[in-house]
Amino acid sequence: MLAVKIAWRNICKHRGKSLVIGVILFFGAVLMTVGNGIIAGMNRGLSENIVKLFTGDLVVISKQQEKDSVLLDVMGGKPLKVIKDYPQVKKYLGEQELIKEFLPVTAGLAFVLNGETESGNKMLLGVDIKRYLRFFPDSITIEEGRLLQPGERGILVSAQARRQDYKFRGYWLLPEGEELDQKKLPLPAKEQSAELLIKRELVLMGADAADSAVDIRVPIKGIIEYRALKKVWGLYNIIDIESYRETYSYVTGADSLVEISREGKDLLANEQLDQYFAGGNMFAEPGLIEEGFTLEDIQQETKKEITGYDLDAGAYNLVLLKLKDGGAAQVTLQKLNDFFRENRLEVRAVSWKDAIGTLGSMTALVKTALNVFIIFIFFVAIIVIMNTLSMTALERVSELAMMRAIGARKGFLRRMFILETAILSFLFGGLGIIIGIAVIYLLRLANITTTNEILQMVYGGEKLSPFYSWADFRFGVLQLGVVTLLAVLYPLRVVGKIIPLDAMSRE
Amino acid sequence: MNVIEVKGVKKDYPLGKTTVQALKGIDLVVETGAFLSIVGPSGSGKTTLLNIIGCIDTPTAGTVKIQDEEITALPEQTITDLRLHKIGFIFQNFNLIPVLNVRENVEFPLLLMKNQPRALIDSRVKELVRGVGLIDQIEQRPAELSGGQRQRVAIARALVTNPEIILADEPTANLDSETSESILQLMRQLNQSEKTTFIFSTHDPEVLKHANSIIQLRDGLLVGAGVV
Ligand SMILES: Nc1ncnc2c1ncn2[C@@H]1O[C@H](COP(=O)(O)OP(=O)(O)O)[C@@H](O)[C@H]1O
Ligand SMILES: [Mg+2]
Repeated sequence: MLAVKIAWRNICKHRGKSLVIGVILFFGAVLMTVGNGIIAGMNRGLSENIVKLFTGDLVVISKQQEKDSVLLDVMGGKPLKVIKDYPQVKKYLGEQELIKEFLPVTAGLAFVLNGETESGNKMLLGVDIKRYLRFFPDSITIEEGRLLQPGERGILVSAQARRQDYKFRGYWLLPEGEELDQKKLPLPAKEQSAELLIKRELVLMGADAADSAVDIRVPIKGIIEYRALKKVWGLYNIIDIESYRETYSYVTGADSLVEISREGKDLLANEQLDQYFAGGNMFAEPGLIEEGFTLEDIQQETKKEITGYDLDAGAYNLVLLKLKDGGAAQVTLQKLNDFFRENRLEVRAVSWKDAIGTLGSMTALVKTALNVFIIFIFFVAIIVIMNTLSMTALERVSELAMMRAIGARKGFLRRMFILETAILSFLFGGLGIIIGIAVIYLLRLANITTTNEILQMVYGGEKLSPFYSWADFRFGVLQLGVVTLLAVLYPLRVVGKIIPLDAMSRE
Repeated sequence: MNVIEVKGVKKDYPLGKTTVQALKGIDLVVETGAFLSIVGPSGSGKTTLLNIIGCIDTPTAGTVKIQDEEITALPEQTITDLRLHKIGFIFQNFNLIPVLNVRENVEFPLLLMKNQPRALIDSRVKELVRGVGLIDQIEQRPAELSGGQRQRVAIARALVTNPEIILADEPTANLDSETSESILQLMRQLNQSEKTTFIFSTHDPEVLKHANSIIQLRDGLLVGAGVV
């Protein structure tokens, strides 16, 4: 109590110095809180808008894949390798405690043909729609038309891709059987909607298979919009997996109906396939479509096979993995890769950050930059406080030494000093945290949005949504405590060196 | 009974490449209840001797006993507690805690002692503050007091723990002669009423008439002792 009283009165007496320390603690705490809030918002945004929306936590890719950046790397251009040994991989993944779910997909670029000429290209994500919707229940919404039905052939074009096609190719994509909806047209198209060129199907050709090129006709079933990062994920159009495999001349699931021994088929040698399937493309077997399948049905239906053959018998490029809550991504990644190596499986697992390449490293960079910024603030605060306190200690040598002389222990002086800093830290730092939280909420209310992909990584989505939780609060208080402690360490040494003898006047 | 026994105390201070011999071998016995004055010119070693007796400095050679307890080899914390309980200090520059008022300054050592009942502290502090004539200024801070008043506060603070010895290094050096006179009278009066041993240094011959015994230092050596 005595130490508190003296500490408090000294704070009041040396108002100037207290204010210097206080102001630094205040701004430090504000910046730290807002910075932590942005990082937390970013983390949550990244998880919501990348991991839960498109990539999953981990991605299994072919070992032959040169780079880990298998998604969004449009310019990299090379088609993805097919995963060998999928059955073993599937079996192993299914046995893992920490893996909640996995989704095998194909992904890559396909040329769009317009008559005989090439007319741009499309990024495709080939999926079994039923499994896709179970894995990503709320990633996409239908803007026009309808969802793919299980087993049905067709493509879901992203609204973004449709706009691009109109802008650069001059035609308007419309789902099969849909009336032209004037409201959905971009402005210039509205004025000339009578002459608008409408396409209801796409002729696609795998960008890889130049010499074994197979072009297939795919009906547009719906126009989709991704829940977030629309510009980023809008690159990808969702196509049924069998159509995808055909455009790339991969082994399809339907191949398993035909009597061919697996060994007889080199999964990667497309030329051989053409010998079995001259002309190659097979449209949907009518029997495979279940009538009246709604989104809910698809999501409720779980493991039940609805096709007459196993889609997993065909080729995949990637397997997306979703971990159970709290499943340590790094540990699981390591474990998977160890297993794959030991069992000589031709695959490897990569993190979602690596899988989305440049964008992934951007997020890591931004996060590091923010953290460095916070540490820098820490540093400046510590240095300034340390200096001020050391000066204070030196100015009070005679008084402090007198206390020692008349019987105060070293610990008492230390306590006084720590208390002085702690009180300032509690008052000004606490106020800083409160103001910081207020700033975070104002930032949320301010509705700051961006269409810039890089800023979106900082924001963790289209909208800047910094976020503050009790955990952040506890962390903030801890940080403040650490700053206080580090700042007071050196002054405490100075205080510790004061001896009672310093109280005596010498002439 | 002897409250202090100093035997063969020497003190060397390193000064560049040489050493200054501040004390060259002091033997001294102080009786309980004495009012002892150490005199000598500036630089003769008065402060050094008081510091060693007061356990805030250690001798280079020799021993110091306080109430028959050898104190030169005690660990630091024990010495700190010994200063708190057995010794009171009065400094030349008063040295009060500026942010505390008279009452708080005087009670400071009692609060360091822990477990002192509040009522006891209050009555003891009041008694002493009244004794040094500052009861009307009890809520004032040192900055509001004159030099003489501050030294009175310091005297009250030194006495509050009922120490065996009070050490005062030139307590009147910063005061005018009239004030010095009253401070010394106060010390003498408290020496008699509280039965506390007082040892104070001075280089002012005027002060000597108050002492009941005197020792004289020159160049780190005792050159004379006597009872007035
Ligand atoms: N810390 C020190 N370092 C070096 N020399 C010192 C120190 N303290 C005292 N001295 C020297 O010791 C001698 C005695 O000093 P001091 O005890 O202060 O004398 P007095 O109090 O009688 O004036 C002086 O010569 C002084 O210069
Ligand atoms: Mg002196």
